[in-house]
Amino acid sequence: MTLWFVRGLRRGVVTTRYPARPDPSAASLPTPPAFRPGQLTAGVADRLVAVCPGGALRRDDRVLVYDVGACAACGRCATEAPHAVTSSGEFELAATARSVLIKRIPLRGEAP
Amino acid sequence: MTPVTAEELRETIARQFGRSLHIRTLDTGSCAVCEQEIRLLTAPHYDLHRLGFFFTPAPRHADLLLVTGPMIRAFEVAARKTYDAMPGPKVVVATGACALGGVYPADPFTHGTVDAVLPVDVWIPGCPPSPLALLHGLGVAVGKLAEKVRDLPFTAPDDSERTRGDS
Amino acid sequence: MTPTHLPVPPSLPRTVPGEVTTFQVASPDLEAVVRDLGGLRLADMFAAGSDGDATTLRLVWANDTAGQAGYVITETSIENGEYPALSEIAPAAFVEECEIYEQFGIRPASGKPLNRIMLPPHADLPTLGHKPQPEPEEARAPHIVGGQAFEFPFGPVRQVGVESLYYGLVTSGEEVVDLYLFTWHKHRGLEWRLRGKTPEQALFLAERTEGLSAVAVGWALAAAAEAATGTRPPETAQRTRAVALELERLYNHAAAMAALCQATGLAVGQSAAEITLERLLRLNARVFGHRYLFGVIAAGGASRAPDADAITSELPNAYGEFKRTADALLGTNSFVDRLEATGILTEAQARSLGLVGPVARAAGLTADARQVPGAPYGTGVTVATGAAGDVLARFSVMLAEAAESVRLIGEFLREGTAAGVTEVPRTAGTGLGWAESPRGEALAWVALDDDGRITRARLRPASARNWRGFDDACRSQNVFTDIPIIEASFWLTAAGMAR
Repeated sequence: MTLWFVRGLRRGVVTTRYPARPDPSAASLPTPPAFRPGQLTAGVADRLVAVCPGGALRRDDRVLVYDVGACAACGRCATEAPHAVTSSGEFELAATARSVLIKRIPLRGEAP
Repeated sequence: MTPVTAEELRETIARQFGRSLHIRTLDTGSCAVCEQEIRLLTAPHYDLHRLGFFFTPAPRHADLLLVTGPMIRAFEVAARKTYDAMPGPKVVVATGACALGGVYPADPFTHGTVDAVLPVDVWIPGCPPSPLALLHGLGVAVGKLAEKVRDLPFTAPDDSERTRGDS
Repeated sequence: MTPTHLPVPPSLPRTVPGEVTTFQVASPDLEAVVRDLGGLRLADMFAAGSDGDATTLRLVWANDTAGQAGYVITETSIENGEYPALSEIAPAAFVEECEIYEQFGIRPASGKPLNRIMLPPHADLPTLGHKPQPEPEEARAPHIVGGQAFEFPFGPVRQVGVESLYYGLVTSGEEVVDLYLFTWHKHRGLEWRLRGKTPEQALFLAERTEGLSAVAVGWALAAAAEAATGTRPPETAQRTRAVALELERLYNHAAAMAALCQATGLAVGQSAAEITLERLLRLNARVFGHRYLFGVIAAGGASRAPDADAITSELPNAYGEFKRTADALLGTNSFVDRLEATGILTEAQARSLGLVGPVARAAGLTADARQVPGAPYGTGVTVATGAAGDVLARFSVMLAEAAESVRLIGEFLREGTAAGVTEVPRTAGTGLGWAESPRGEALAWVALDDDGRITRARLRPASARNWRGFDDACRSQNVFTDIPIIEASFWLTAAGMAR
């Protein structure tokens, strides 16, 4: 048992300071996409909706409806249209209302 | 449980759970990866206990139900029994894309979303949600951390270096 | 791949190394063929519906001999709802016979009762073929001790942080007399869902069959589609897949080590193993963009290249931690005592049930899907085996495999890795794919229509094979507190069985 104790002391503390302080390992986590409305034509939006395997995207006339909750951050939309989709970098996504996770993103030319 | 306003409930939760919270997990049909991330909450890198949060196997001792999976219909009875066994006040947190309605749509096998069967208070997206995302979600559930996603638009300006896309 | 019509034994050839050969076998000849193929391992058995009332029964056989490893598939058309009783000859087929009955309504001719295995009771769920008439039986444990036994249902909601799983534990006190498992409350109907999808679309769900084997199951499905369409992924992409698969093996073995420590109550060991596990998961995120390596396998290749610099700088640290923890554990007598002679599976039991992975190799078998000749592993994998078949042997096999994984990752990086796909054409065909997941051989088989869409996908993660050995491992001389230890040494998932 002394062996374990000594090794533990030598290794030191690995515990994150999160949430009091940011954790650097968060930088390499996959995150949901962010969309560039300036690049979202109806054609691009339809391609994104078709390629999403989890049902997180649908088009409602001139709006791309994006359900952050249903999103698995798989990256297929970003691969399909790299000029229109980038990474949001956000991983703190908890919501106290389901509707808060449904984002309505205007297509190109629409008012936000 | 006597009916209370949402505000009173939030205050109760912050007061009673903010310092010590007992969590029961519930797998309604996950692929097993969400469970692995949840297990890591008590690992040295994340150490849930330093925040006053603990896991408990007994629903009777639990304050918060952490639910994964798309609520497979065959599991519904077990899910309800676990929820009913928890005394109030209690909080239900649905975690992972499956539990939030992604991955599996509602069909003969599954409800597709946990809130079809249980009253969910907090939703944590991710596939899987990392332990950091889970810590944030638990903090939001007890009123200690601010909810961020409400004000995030998930849009970005055009990247001027890229050529304009096709139509 | 066109099936070859060949006469029945004695001239039925053996496997061709590195290849899959498919034979049509007429229903009356099936029993004799199964006897003749008995030297091979029955890797899987499944059915596929066809037009009209005929159902095609396929048996997949594996040759595990190093240097000769390959697969044989026999296809038999079943016209009248019955086929020869195969589990009399091959006990490895019993679970599949039950599953096929539930999904296709065809049954072995012996008239033996078939248990409910995959589908929940009292539910009218869509099946892949005709519904069974009559309904399957509810499982009943056969054994009693001295005329007494107490059946103790446990689950599906179990201890915190583990998957839902139902055990029917039959005991005469503390000793485990019988143990049967139900996973149907996690049955998501994955094979039903994959119909109509292209291989690329199917990968999203295939990875999530058993997320802890995302790379292996995804690779098996992608390889099946590639075999069906004659697609060869680029060599650099194949090596990328292999790097991901070895990283998956590493973190799973670290997680199994942590679970063993938790099951034996060694908190310091559990913490040390969890530190290693977390380091490996963070390494995965840096190298491939996802802690559990989702999204690396693409149909026809690999969608992301590994960050080789991250591996070179961080893997030695992470693995060093793993090795030091493992060495410390093997030097802790109180820990090793709990593992020795616990959960013994003999070689005969492992062989007759067709088990795979570290569970089988610790009992003396040599099955390892990486031995099948061909890219990217070639013939260069050292397969770790044991002899005692107990938890300690399984743990030792996992430790040896982890060392081999680190060596293989280094080699693949040296030979060169990249992202890239060979486009999978939209054509009809059938194919078998395989990959060695951390818990054993994962198999997938697809039938594609002329549009390149799946008409039948068969997913067989290693868990679907190995849970049947859990009963034997837990029985006799083991007590209740040994069950979590044995479960950790198998390191399976309910999701992989339930599908």
